[in-house]
Amino acid sequence: MPMAASLPVAGLAQAADDPGNGDGPEASAAADHQQGAHVGPDVVAPGERGELDALLIPPPALTAEPGRVRHYEIVAMDRDIEVAKGVFFPAWTYNGTVPGPVMRATEGDILEVEFSNAGSHPHTIHFHGIHPANMDGVFEIVEPGESFTYRFPARPYGMQLYHCHAPPLKKHIHKGLYGAFIIDPPTPRPPAKELVMVMNGFDTDGDGENNFYAVNGKAFYYAKFPIRVRRSELVRIYLANLTEFDLINSFHLHGDFFRYYRTGSTDQFEYTDTIMQCQGERGIIEIDFANTGLFMFHAHQSEFAELGWMGFFDVVDE
Amino acid sequence: MTTDAAALQRWTWGLRLSVLLPVLLLLGAAALVSSTNGSLTSLVGANPPPADELEIRRATFHANEISVLVRNPQRDAITIASVTVDDAIVPFTVDGPKRLGRLRSATINIPFTWVEDDPYSIGVTSSSGIQSTIEVPAAFEAPAPSRATFTGYALIGFLVGIVPVVLGMMWLPALRRADPRWLAAFMALTAGLLTFLAIDAFAEALELQASLPSALGGPGLIVLGVAVSYLGLSWTAHRLTKGTPTGDGVAPLAGVGLATMIAVGVGLHNLGEGLAIGSSFALGEVALGSVLVTGFMVHNVSEGLGIVAPVAEGKRRVSSLRLAALALVAGGPVILGAWIGGFITNEILGVFFFAIAVGAALEVVVEVGRYIARRAAGGLTSGAVVGGFLAGLAIMYTTSLLVG
Repeated sequence: MPMAASLPVAGLAQAADDPGNGDGPEASAAADHQQGAHVGPDVVAPGERGELDALLIPPPALTAEPGRVRHYEIVAMDRDIEVAKGVFFPAWTYNGTVPGPVMRATEGDILEVEFSNAGSHPHTIHFHGIHPANMDGVFEIVEPGESFTYRFPARPYGMQLYHCHAPPLKKHIHKGLYGAFIIDPPTPRPPAKELVMVMNGFDTDGDGENNFYAVNGKAFYYAKFPIRVRRSELVRIYLANLTEFDLINSFHLHGDFFRYYRTGSTDQFEYTDTIMQCQGERGIIEIDFANTGLFMFHAHQSEFAELGWMGFFDVVDE
Repeated sequence: MTTDAAALQRWTWGLRLSVLLPVLLLLGAAALVSSTNGSLTSLVGANPPPADELEIRRATFHANEISVLVRNPQRDAITIASVTVDDAIVPFTVDGPKRLGRLRSATINIPFTWVEDDPYSIGVTSSSGIQSTIEVPAAFEAPAPSRATFTGYALIGFLVGIVPVVLGMMWLPALRRADPRWLAAFMALTAGLLTFLAIDAFAEALELQASLPSALGGPGLIVLGVAVSYLGLSWTAHRLTKGTPTGDGVAPLAGVGLATMIAVGVGLHNLGEGLAIGSSFALGEVALGSVLVTGFMVHNVSEGLGIVAPVAEGKRRVSSLRLAALALVAGGPVILGAWIGGFITNEILGVFFFAIAVGAALEVVVEVGRYIARRAAGGLTSGAVVGGFLAGLAIMYTTSLLVG
């Protein structure tokens, strides 16, 4: 016999216990809000299925091998990108996408980034981490048509990031010059389905306020194309906040809790379903999904969520 | 053969062609310039990028839906890409293509369960990311066009237009017995009130045209409207007086003819009044509408007086049918205006209507002035005329405070 909870609301019958398990995508999709599809192909979002995979799925972690060179080629280029359905933003990009490509190294690797500037303005790459002053992306401004090679040992392990540090900084960041930089610990993390999410915003009309928000650059993309994960598999999200103009951004998961490792540089974690990050903050989220079904994730700033920063996990048993 | 015929014969084909030649050359030159595709203008510098900002004309709220009327105010086409309500992206449909050419309008329909009396901020973003917003201070259900509202506007128009004009006309028997100096004063009063109406309509036209995109040429529209109505009525007045036998040139319009002209001038002005009433109801300023109705009733009584003043002087009887027709000409347009203002939002039409009212009122002032100058003792500078004119302005100003 379940105990009837005595809530201070008169005249309401107690809701029947719902096992709440195995709520398939079809069932959820049918429950669409009358004002428009929440999830699935009818969601108004730019991009094609799989288009953001290179940004969502990081290159695999390599086992520690101190002194190994990890080579990346990064080109800064101007490009119009579709940030919300039908809305184009004249972005400054690393390798043509906003955020830029995911760079990954294992602690002790030598990171070697050959940076060339094919854009119309001077740019740099400023990495977060421990490195010499002349590799900091602050003084060695790379003019259009020029190039520079960054070379330094990758440390410390954790979820780091990189962005342009040419002045004016605000402009160079909000135009799209940033990306995720993962440094793996010498002792590998447990195997997991690994994902990268860079929270960002776009001020498309230049009024100093973001008009659209997203993870990995396209508003509502993961609502249109939910991220499919297996319940049996640990899900690890490398999360960073590169939203300009707004002081903080946040990540909230529906229907489950996760372990959150700030910056991912220690084994200290918080067990929660909502975390916030200030500009430039990042961390690692680990989820063991208890249930299958469609679980929403979004910024808990409702405005950001409703301006594009909202998606779904499609948790399945396979 | 007359010289005229000889002149006609000289219209040879060659001559006709020479008339067409500049036009043809102009077309050729224009085609040449546009075929250079901007390379000519690039000699003097680059054009600034288009603003790509849509103009939101109005937002109306219906059951579970918000409608937003937008216009592309610029030369380059704009594509509607995204719509937000209170900073949340919402699904929407457009009654036509999402890409709007120069000065094209479209209605955006947003399925939305809005809350009565709540403020809303509605944003429309173009494909280049530029957002325009309209702030609605309080949402309310827009009146849908129905038989009831149609009848309602007609009834309001009847009350505001026809009733006061008829009431004003009921002074006719008293006017007939009045001293000629008093009659002159009343004619001057009519001129005064029409002058006030002309300036009032001109101010309305200016205000409304200021809200239009500059590409629509608001000031030009006003000039055109004023000229068309002024010259049109002058021409009509001239035709009306042609039949009158006179000793010295063109006689001033008098009697029923002048009364008709005044009725037309007043009527065209009242069309604008109807527009104001109709649109204030449609935009939900219902309280303002009720005040307007009472105010306009008081305001318009003097118009009836003005119309019958020239009739009073003539000794001929005027049939009540003719008087009714005059009342209809002067007051009826309020009904028409209320329908237009209540059901159609078209600022261009509004500007043009107001401009027409300006020209018409001015022309009638001139006609009345000519009449007074010829007929009234002491002419335009007599005390009765000056006093009457000033009284006309003062009455209109005072009663206009009721509708302000």
